[in-house]
Amino acid sequence: MKRALAISRHELVSLRREKLPQVLLMVFILMVSVSGLIGWLTNTTVSSVWTEATQTGLTQAPNPFENVSPLYYSRNTVIYLVLIGALMAIVVGVTSTMRDRKARTIDLVLSRPISVVEYLLGKTIGVAIFLAAALVATGLISWVSISFIVGKPLGFQDTARLMGFFGIALIFLMAFVLLGMISGVYASRETTALLIPISLWSITAFVLPQIGTSANPVSLLNPVPKVSVPGGAFDALNTILGPLSVTEQFKGASGWLLSNPEATGDFTTSIFVVVIAASLGMLTLLLTRRDRIRGALND
Amino acid sequence: MTNSLIIAQKELLDLRRNKFLIAVLSFVLIAVVISVVVSATQYGVKLDAYNMYVQSLKSAGNSTVPPSPQLYPLQLLRGSIEYMEILGALFAIVMGYGIVAKEKQRATIQLLFSRPIGRFAVPAGKLIAIAVAWFVAVTIIFLSVTLCVAFVGNASFNAIDYQRLVIAAFTTWLYLIMWSALALGLASWTTRLGTALIIALVIWLTVVLIIPQIGDTMDPDNQVPGGLFKSLSIAKPDELAVLAQFSGFDTARNGLEVSSVTKHFERFTFAFLGIKDKFNQQPLGIVWAGVWNNALSVWFAAFGAVGFALLITTRKKLLRRT
Amino acid sequence: MSEYAIQASGLSKRYGINTALLDLNLEISSGEVFGLLGHNGAGKTTTVNLLTTLLEPTAGQVVINGINAAEYPNEVRRVIGYLPENVQFYDNLTTMENLRFFARLSGLTKPDIRIREVLEYLDFNDHDHERVGSFSKGMRQRVGIAQAILHAPSVLFLDEPTSGLDPEGVHQLRDVIVRLNQELSMSVFMNTHLLSEVTKTCTSIGILRKGELAYHDSLTATLEAFPREESLESIYLQIESAGIR
Repeated sequence: MKRALAISRHELVSLRREKLPQVLLMVFILMVSVSGLIGWLTNTTVSSVWTEATQTGLTQAPNPFENVSPLYYSRNTVIYLVLIGALMAIVVGVTSTMRDRKARTIDLVLSRPISVVEYLLGKTIGVAIFLAAALVATGLISWVSISFIVGKPLGFQDTARLMGFFGIALIFLMAFVLLGMISGVYASRETTALLIPISLWSITAFVLPQIGTSANPVSLLNPVPKVSVPGGAFDALNTILGPLSVTEQFKGASGWLLSNPEATGDFTTSIFVVVIAASLGMLTLLLTRRDRIRGALND
Repeated sequence: MTNSLIIAQKELLDLRRNKFLIAVLSFVLIAVVISVVVSATQYGVKLDAYNMYVQSLKSAGNSTVPPSPQLYPLQLLRGSIEYMEILGALFAIVMGYGIVAKEKQRATIQLLFSRPIGRFAVPAGKLIAIAVAWFVAVTIIFLSVTLCVAFVGNASFNAIDYQRLVIAAFTTWLYLIMWSALALGLASWTTRLGTALIIALVIWLTVVLIIPQIGDTMDPDNQVPGGLFKSLSIAKPDELAVLAQFSGFDTARNGLEVSSVTKHFERFTFAFLGIKDKFNQQPLGIVWAGVWNNALSVWFAAFGAVGFALLITTRKKLLRRT
Repeated sequence: MSEYAIQASGLSKRYGINTALLDLNLEISSGEVFGLLGHNGAGKTTTVNLLTTLLEPTAGQVVINGINAAEYPNEVRRVIGYLPENVQFYDNLTTMENLRFFARLSGLTKPDIRIREVLEYLDFNDHDHERVGSFSKGMRQRVGIAQAILHAPSVLFLDEPTSGLDPEGVHQLRDVIVRLNQELSMSVFMNTHLLSEVTKTCTSIGILRKGELAYHDSLTATLEAFPREESLESIYLQIESAGIR
């Protein structure tokens, strides 16, 4: 375990010096900071539209955002996790396992008394700590900005829900980190290592949900879920493919945790899928053979 | 010019044999075909539901026949265009970056520049290759989705539909060249290749995903499933009257959206393909009058990126030690 | 042909506060095989890059075959051939395709015949249609020399040509260099570490020390000047440590 922790420590130092993960992290934190403001602006505008429509006698329907939970303002954070967070996680994962192969220091590591499992576990722990720190920072920013918008600190229940949301976000991101790490181990070129998981991410985020709900790609970037078309082959497809779309399951679980009235799907199933995805990734990674990690790059 | 063509020819040969690039473009092709199949199937589901509804009305003795859902074939291409907008742009960056990165990494650039070639031979040659490669890719993609719409959607096209398709394909081609040229220029400009990839990915994230996403979520009508005004039972004319009271917010939202060339590409292609209801089945002249500014934005961005690549890709920059 | 294949006068290259090459004055007669020796980081590759117009000097002048490199760089590139250290090619392309590309850029309009001649000359004509990506180091080196001599240059620049080659590869390369010089009258400028090969190949040597030319003379004169030294290696080490000009 000591050796694994030494690898973790080294991983953290290296990640702090790599530009690409840092830049993506900055973009992510910036967008999360802004998402609360965007949510507030939109909520205010919708309420004003409703007020205008009511006063001019155009509608008698209730305000759709009356009594909405303060956690509503974190809706966009879910999308930024799916977009920027997942891409950042992939980049961090690929960078992590590629580093020693590129620098050809892998032989210096593996010629020491450390097993492949310790080596990879150490890297995973290091990356998990990096992401956890990032999520703690974004969680704090979210808590402060929501409290500021609603005019008072968030209550215990809402705070617990927010923490739960960022907890599941960490598992979600780790699933993509592990995908990136696996790619970094098996790919023969750096560009391939990066693009294969990005392609898989786009299948998960866009293609699978489209087949399951007929939603177009851009609409999947909206935190408001598309109205699914009932009947026909879509119901059957959605049943089969739904669980495979980790991003949609994460959105579903997040919706429940953030008290979103439009949350779809079953909470337990959603959490289960996200956890299974991360676990499968971890298992696959730890089964990597020694000679595979030492594979030379063709770049 | 001859040296540019020689370099372009070599690049095309190299690209043709790049298995990974072929796999990536095949993936884009499959994604766009799937989106057409899904859209066509969705229309089929709507039609079935409609027929069942009419049948149930008849059984109940009701002679009223509600209007049937209309199939506008080109509207089935919405998802395909969105895939080109998001994934096409990403893979265009990969192509543009890779076409310079591989020379720098392998130091074949030294073999190139030890020969008597002109100032613009290398960037022009690579850009010509990129333009040809995307022309082939876009042609295959648009032919495939057109066939898909015809067979799966059981739709027929008239002459004006083909014109619309050609206009959309041409704009897609320009859009993808823009991204490749930008990435090519960045890979030439930066000392470290990794920096170029970072900048390109951040620009892609911002322009293709973040700005349009913010603009989309700031749209009040997108805040409720099925549409805000529909949920409040407000008809279209009244909707416009209400929104007129919020012109400031909408101007800000629209201003944000138009800062993204992706949004201009989307608005232009959606208009000509009739995906945007306002322009559906309208003559080409009227559509053009409504979206010529979007076309200009895409063209300027494309020419700007090509100009950037041509000017920034110099012997000195490419031979610089990394 | 000019009397001198290569003339460098006051040639310097600085990167910020670091000086890679300082005030190089060198004249290499046509028909010579010149070996430039020196430690790692002495400035040998910088020198080759300056002479082949891949780098612009901070000061000084380069004249190749009587052509001023600053005024007519493309003319210089027409008369030189260059083999970089650890040469790489386009792996997805075959030998012929790679060489055809470089031949055309060098101005050969119908290069195939010439390519076949060169590959035959280098005894490498069984791999025309194989992709270079599958080649060994020695095979790449052959293709590297082929691309450097396709356009029949009068001056050939070789940067550490024996780097990574096995003894047989080194022997074969030596033969090629000698033949190119004697049969095709090519002047050769070669960076190298392999002193044993310098003795068998070169007609004159230079020693670069921390960016400055510490020594330059014909091989014969060098061996005569140090009669007590048993090998070129010991002469080199003595010159290196004393900084004799």
